[in-house]
Amino acid sequence: MTVAAGIGYALLALGPSLSLFVAVISQKPFLILTVLSSTLLWLMSLIVLAGVWRAFLPFKTTPSSSAWLPYSILILSSVVFQEGLRVLFWRIYKKLEDILDAFADRVSKPRLFLTDKMQIALAGGMGHGVAHAVFFCLSLLTPAFGPATFYVEKCSQMPFFLVSSMIALAFVTIHTFSMVIAFNGYAEGNRVDQLIVPVVHLVAGMLTLVNLASGGCIIGIPLLYCMALFTLLHCGKMVWKRLADSQNR
Amino acid sequence: MDTRLLFLISCFIARLSFSLSASGELNSFESVPDLEKSMYTIVDGYPCVRLLNLSGEIGCSNPGHGKVAAPVVKFKNVNQLVEPSAILVSLDELDSLLARVSKDTNFASLVAGILVESGTPGGNNFKGFSPELKFPEAEFAPYQNKNFEWNPSGSGIMWKAYNFPVFLLSENSTLALLEAATKNEKSKKSYTSDVAEFGLVMQTTKSGTHDSESCLREETCLPLGGYSVWSALPPINTSTSQKSKPIILAVTSMDSASFFRDKSLGADSPISGLIALLAAVDALSHLNGLHLSKQLVFVVFTGEAWGFLGSRRFLLELDQHSDAVSGLDFTLIETVLEIGSVGKSFDQGVKKFFVHTTEAASISNQTLDALKRAQDSLKTENVKISVASKSNPGIPPSSLMMFLRKNPDSSGIVLEDFDTAFTNKFYHSHLDNLSNINASAIAAASSLVARSLYILASEKNEINDSVLTAISVNSSFIDELLGCLLDCEPGLSCDLVNQYISPSAACPSHYVGVIQGEPSSSPYPGYVGDVSRFLWNFLADKTSVPTENRSATCPKHCSGTGELCIRGETDGKGVCVISSTRYVPAYSTRLKFESDMWKLLPTNSSDIMGAADPVWTESNWDTITLRVYSVQHASYDRLILLLGFTVNTLPGWNVRLGFAATWMI
Repeated sequence: MTVAAGIGYALLALGPSLSLFVAVISQKPFLILTVLSSTLLWLMSLIVLAGVWRAFLPFKTTPSSSAWLPYSILILSSVVFQEGLRVLFWRIYKKLEDILDAFADRVSKPRLFLTDKMQIALAGGMGHGVAHAVFFCLSLLTPAFGPATFYVEKCSQMPFFLVSSMIALAFVTIHTFSMVIAFNGYAEGNRVDQLIVPVVHLVAGMLTLVNLASGGCIIGIPLLYCMALFTLLHCGKMVWKRLADSQNR
Repeated sequence: MDTRLLFLISCFIARLSFSLSASGELNSFESVPDLEKSMYTIVDGYPCVRLLNLSGEIGCSNPGHGKVAAPVVKFKNVNQLVEPSAILVSLDELDSLLARVSKDTNFASLVAGILVESGTPGGNNFKGFSPELKFPEAEFAPYQNKNFEWNPSGSGIMWKAYNFPVFLLSENSTLALLEAATKNEKSKKSYTSDVAEFGLVMQTTKSGTHDSESCLREETCLPLGGYSVWSALPPINTSTSQKSKPIILAVTSMDSASFFRDKSLGADSPISGLIALLAAVDALSHLNGLHLSKQLVFVVFTGEAWGFLGSRRFLLELDQHSDAVSGLDFTLIETVLEIGSVGKSFDQGVKKFFVHTTEAASISNQTLDALKRAQDSLKTENVKISVASKSNPGIPPSSLMMFLRKNPDSSGIVLEDFDTAFTNKFYHSHLDNLSNINASAIAAASSLVARSLYILASEKNEINDSVLTAISVNSSFIDELLGCLLDCEPGLSCDLVNQYISPSAACPSHYVGVIQGEPSSSPYPGYVGDVSRFLWNFLADKTSVPTENRSATCPKHCSGTGELCIRGETDGKGVCVISSTRYVPAYSTRLKFESDMWKLLPTNSSDIMGAADPVWTESNWDTITLRVYSVQHASYDRLILLLGFTVNTLPGWNVRLGFAATWMI
C-alpha cells in the first residue's frame, strides 16, 4: 500500500509506545534498561512456548470449525506461562528494589518513591507490549510498503495489515498497564488486582479467536478495545487511589 | 545464532498470529515472503515489443522508465473511463480500439495499457484476424501495382507505433483478469481496485533513440536477423575440377511475424512450406546413389517477413563469392522453385495448388511441365495444379521477388495454396497455428515438390518412371514435424529434434529474433536459433555421404575436406559426414558489424533493394513482466498515515499531563 500506509501502520501499532518512551521512559536510564530486560524476558517466553508447541503445529484443522479447540489450548497455555513469568519478574524486581533502597541509604539519597516504582512497572509492561507489537505486527509489515494491499477472506472490510496493527495497539495497551496493576497488586497484597491481570490477558487472547469466524473481526476488535480501555481505566483508577492514599499519610 | 533463533521464533509466532489474528485461512503462510508472493499474481502474457526502422518506430512500449499500473476495465465499459486504465479486450474488438486510440487523443490519454483475451472469438462476424498490411512488403515487389490486396483481412495494426503496453493473455490469465475486471465493476464505491502492472520498459524509449540509426549508434537496440541454411544434394565436391552442374534451387522460409513477439507460429505461412520441403528432402535422400545431371540445392531463409533479410543477404554473398556460399554460383542457378504456404489447399478431398510464375517463359514452362508430370504420377492422391490467374500483377510476396529484382530474367515459380488472395485469414497473427492447416495438404505438396525436383534435375531421357513413383513422402514424419515445430507439446523437445540438437526452449517460436554477436558462416552455436540449428543438422544428415572413417566422433575429429560434424550437441553421438550444408547469416544488406558495433551503410547503387529496406531493429529491454494485484486508493493510505500520527501524539500529551498532575499533588 505504499510507504505512507506502511508508516501509518507502524505508527498505529507502536505509536503510543513511542510517545510514552519519549515522554516518560527516556528521562531515566534505569527505565530504559527495564524496558529492554522485560522485552528480553518476553522474548524468551516466546522461544520456550514455540519450542514446546512446534511439535504440534500445524494444526490439522478440517474446513469446519474445529480450529477453536486447539487454538484455545494454545492460548491458555501461553497465557498461563507468561503470567507465571510475570510473578517471576515481580520477585526479581522486589530483590532489585531492596538492593536499590540499600544503595540509596548508603549514599544518603532518598529511596524509591511510589511514582518511581510505578514508572518501573510501566516500563516493564511497555517492554512486553513493544515485544508483542514487534513480533506480531511489525515483522509482517514489510509487504505493506509495496504497492499492493491484502484482504483476508474472513475479514473483507479491512486490509489485513490494518487488522494486525489495531490488534497490536490493543495488546500494547493491555500489556503496558497490566504490569502496573499487577505490581501494585503484589505490593499491596490485593487479590482482586492480582487476579484481574491474568484474567484480562486470557480473555483478550481468547477474543482474538473470534477473528477466526467469517466477519468476526468486526466484533472481535471492538471487544478487544473494550478490554484495553478497561485495563487503562482500572489502572488509572488504581494509580489515582494509591497516590491519593500516599498523600494522605 | 541468537538472531537466527529469534527469526525462527518470529516465524513460528507469525504463523500462530496468522491463524489467530487474521482468520482460519485454509492456505496458511509459512513466512512473510509467502505472504508477499500471494499478494501479487504473476500473469502469463505475450508482449508486443518496440521495433524501430530508419524513419521511426512501431510496436508497443511503456511510456517512461518505470512500470505502469492501472485498474482493469472491460472493453464494454470503455466509455465510462475516468482515469488511465488497463483495457481488457477480445480479439475482434482490438482493431476498433486501436483505431480509436490513434484518432482520439483524449481517449488515448485514458488508455494505460491493453490486455487481449486469448482464444478465437466466436460469432459469425469474426472472419479473420491479420495485423499485417494488405500487401505485405509491397516496397520490395518487382512490379508497379503496390495496391494489390494479397491479404484482404489485413488491418495493418502491427505496423503502427503505440505509446502504451499491449499484452496477449493465455487462457488461464484471461480468466483471472476477467475476474479482476468484474470485481472492479462491482465495487466502484470501495477503496480498493484490482490493477494490472505492466513492465514493458524499452531501452530505446528510456534513451530517447527513436529510429534505427540512432539506436544502433547508442547500442540500445539490435538488428533483426538470424541464420539461413542451405544444403546441396548430393554434396558439392569443390576440390575436383568437374564441370559445375546447373543448379535447381528449392527455396522456403522459416520465419513468421505477429503483433505479439513470442506468439509467431506461422503454421500456414510459411511453416507448412518448410515442412513440405523437409519431407521432400527426406524422400529424395533415398535417391542419393542416383546420378542427377543437375545440382539440387535446398535453401531455407529466415528474416523474410522483415524486408527479405535472408534472401537479400544470400544474393549479396553469392555476388561476393564468400565462404558461406562456397560451391554456389548465381549464374549457374537455372530455376527457383519456391514453396510458399501450402497448408490450406485441402478443399473437399482435392488438394489444389496454384503455381505463380515469373515472366521468363521458356524455363518456367519447363518447371510447369515438371510439376504437371509429377501431378500425373500422383493420380491417386487427388492433387490438382493450376497456373495462377493472369489478373495478378505478378508473384505474391515471396523470396523469389528478390531473385527477380536482382535479375528480372530469372526463372522461377512459387507454389501456393491461393490464387488471387491469401486463403490464410490469420496471416502473420498468433492464430495461424496447427488448427489452421491440414497435414494431408502438406503431404501432397511435399510429394509434388519431391517428384518435380527429381524430374527437373534429370535430363528428359533419364527420368525413370519406377524411380519417380518410388519417391514417396512419409506422412508420419510430417505429423512428427508438425508436433515439433507448431506445438508446445512435445515441441522442440520431441525425439526428432532431440536427435540433432539440445533446444533452449520447448515451445517453438518462429519470430526471426535479433542477430547476436558477429555474423559469420560458422557462428557460435549459442547464437544460432533452435530451428536453424535443427535444420542445419537435419539437412546435413539427409544430404550426406558417410565418411570413410566411420568411427570418428566429433566435434574433435572431422578434419577431412567437406566434412561436417552433425549431432554435435548430443552427448557423444556426434558423427562426421561429408555434406555441403552451410549457415548463411541473414541480416540487412545496409548494416555492417564493425568493432563490436553495428553500423548503417549509406545506400549503394549496386544494392537496389537496400534503398527500400527499412532496416528493422528491436529495442533492448531488461525484463518484461505482467502482474495483477489489489491497491488501496491514495486517500485511504493518507488516512492511515494520519491515524498513525494522531495515535502517536495523543497519548504522549495525555501521559505528560497525567504525570505533571501527579507531581503537582
